[in-house]
Amino acid sequence: MTTMSGDFRRDLEVRRYPILVYALAPLIALVLQAWLPRLLVGYTWFDLPLVIVVYFALVHRIPIQGTLMGAGMGLFEDALTGHAIGVNGIAKTVVGFLASSLGVRIDVENPTIRLGLTFLFSLLSSALFVFVYRGLLGMSSDWNWMVEVFKAIGNTLIALVLFPALDRLQIRE
Amino acid sequence: MESFFIRYRNLLVLLTVLVAQIVGLAVQVRRTGAGRNTLDPQDGPGVRLIRMWADAVVSPPERLIHSVKLGGVGVWQSYIDLRHAHEENLALQKTIDRLRLEQAALLEDAKQGQRLQALVNFQEKYIYKTVTAQAIGASGSDQSRVFYLDKGSADGLERDMAVITPDGIVGKVRDVFPHSAQVLAINDQSSGAGVILETTRIRGILRGNAIGQPQIVGILADQRIQAGEKVLTAGGDLIFPRGLPVGVVEKVVRDPDPGRDGFIDVIVKPAAHLDQLDEVLVITSTQPRFSEEEQKDLATSEALKGPEAAAIAEQKKASEVMAERLPGLIDPNLPPEQQPLLETTNPNPAPRPPQALHPDRFTPGGAQPKTEQPTADGAETKPATPATPQGKPQP
Repeated sequence: MTTMSGDFRRDLEVRRYPILVYALAPLIALVLQAWLPRLLVGYTWFDLPLVIVVYFALVHRIPIQGTLMGAGMGLFEDALTGHAIGVNGIAKTVVGFLASSLGVRIDVENPTIRLGLTFLFSLLSSALFVFVYRGLLGMSSDWNWMVEVFKAIGNTLIALVLFPALDRLQIRE
Repeated sequence: MESFFIRYRNLLVLLTVLVAQIVGLAVQVRRTGAGRNTLDPQDGPGVRLIRMWADAVVSPPERLIHSVKLGGVGVWQSYIDLRHAHEENLALQKTIDRLRLEQAALLEDAKQGQRLQALVNFQEKYIYKTVTAQAIGASGSDQSRVFYLDKGSADGLERDMAVITPDGIVGKVRDVFPHSAQVLAINDQSSGAGVILETTRIRGILRGNAIGQPQIVGILADQRIQAGEKVLTAGGDLIFPRGLPVGVVEKVVRDPDPGRDGFIDVIVKPAAHLDQLDEVLVITSTQPRFSEEEQKDLATSEALKGPEAAAIAEQKKASEVMAERLPGLIDPNLPPEQQPLLETTNPNPAPRPPQALHPDRFTPGGAQPKTEQPTADGAETKPATPATPQGKPQP
């Protein structure tokens, strides 16, 4: 994995996007996440809001922004479920922070690295979800890890298509 | 000091956001009497506000997508795909006629049942009023089996109302917003519905498992529970009226909790298609009497098909009497398992006569031998010879 020293951090290009992309991409992700499971019955092996959080965190490389975006998307997802609000929020907050922090240190322009990170962050998000639900809240819940692995694979496949599409929307100077 | 905040501002923001969410979670969870943590079923005002905002953002696009889909399907089905519509119409008309006959035949039983219930001071709750709603969205998480309806408090929906389809129960209303409602399906892990097995009359609580299968949890192992047995609502949860179909037993598994040896979980195949819901009914009112619409249907059935149903019943009764009187079908000298009616080698077997409603001494095989009773002079009478249907004298 290609790494960079701290001296190069300031020199990294921070991507900029039209304001509509910032507004619509998360919204469309949340709406599709709520609507697609009705079409893909039993095969909801993806987490579109997580993919969006990882993408913007990696390309912006601003930890505070990644943290807040992860928290917002996670809380929004929780609000649509019957769960306590904050379980997904905590998981995606941590993912947003780590993805932004890694974006500073790793060459995230490499598509393979971005896809690998998406896979790992998906598994991390699932692990954090279980930790918060069972560990922090002490609530009982059955869990199937194979589904989470499939979900991580699904997120990686979506990222394979979505990341280049979003790259094309950036403002080039 | 200022440099500390600037240097660690990323971590400080992260910690602040995490702590805020942990505190928020803490106020949503409460401890039950059994010592287990559970989500407070009644959302606090702050939590409810966040849910309402999320619903306000997601529901309009979902409603729009659903309307476009319904419009497309409607145009296709109403104007283009009309092949076999006439045949379907005729078949449906026949079904309505048959159901009217059945309804008229069952009407007297229903009335008698109500009279008996009044006698024992028990009032059955009938589904009195329902609201039809469309399912427009889901939670987006396979860990939370909830979905959204396009009707809300403005349409008369309230918390804890039962949601059903004509096939079976679906769930209950968990949260209500002005123009939408969140429904907790019966296959969610946090759901709970009182159910009863139709044949064995074993009661239990139905909830979902990790892969979205409804299961009756924590009941004592019982070998009478077999796959295929019907599961109905028990009516004890004050949400679902009694006797609604839930599904059928799919299989029986051991309780995964090692401390509960001897307990089983019964996996249920739901009667309603929980993953493919489009239109559902929300029960907004239950009453101890039939609704006006039902009463109108019953009156129509009675008026239109009542004489016909009575004629069919009379005909059925006459055929039963005839079957009883047919000679050679019952041999009183043979044990029941060797009766000619049970002969399987005959390619054209005679139909078995139905059980007599009021057995008497003329009923085939129904004559009881007279008990030996001492007569006045102390002698004992011999047992009476069984009467034969043919009326032949016995040697």
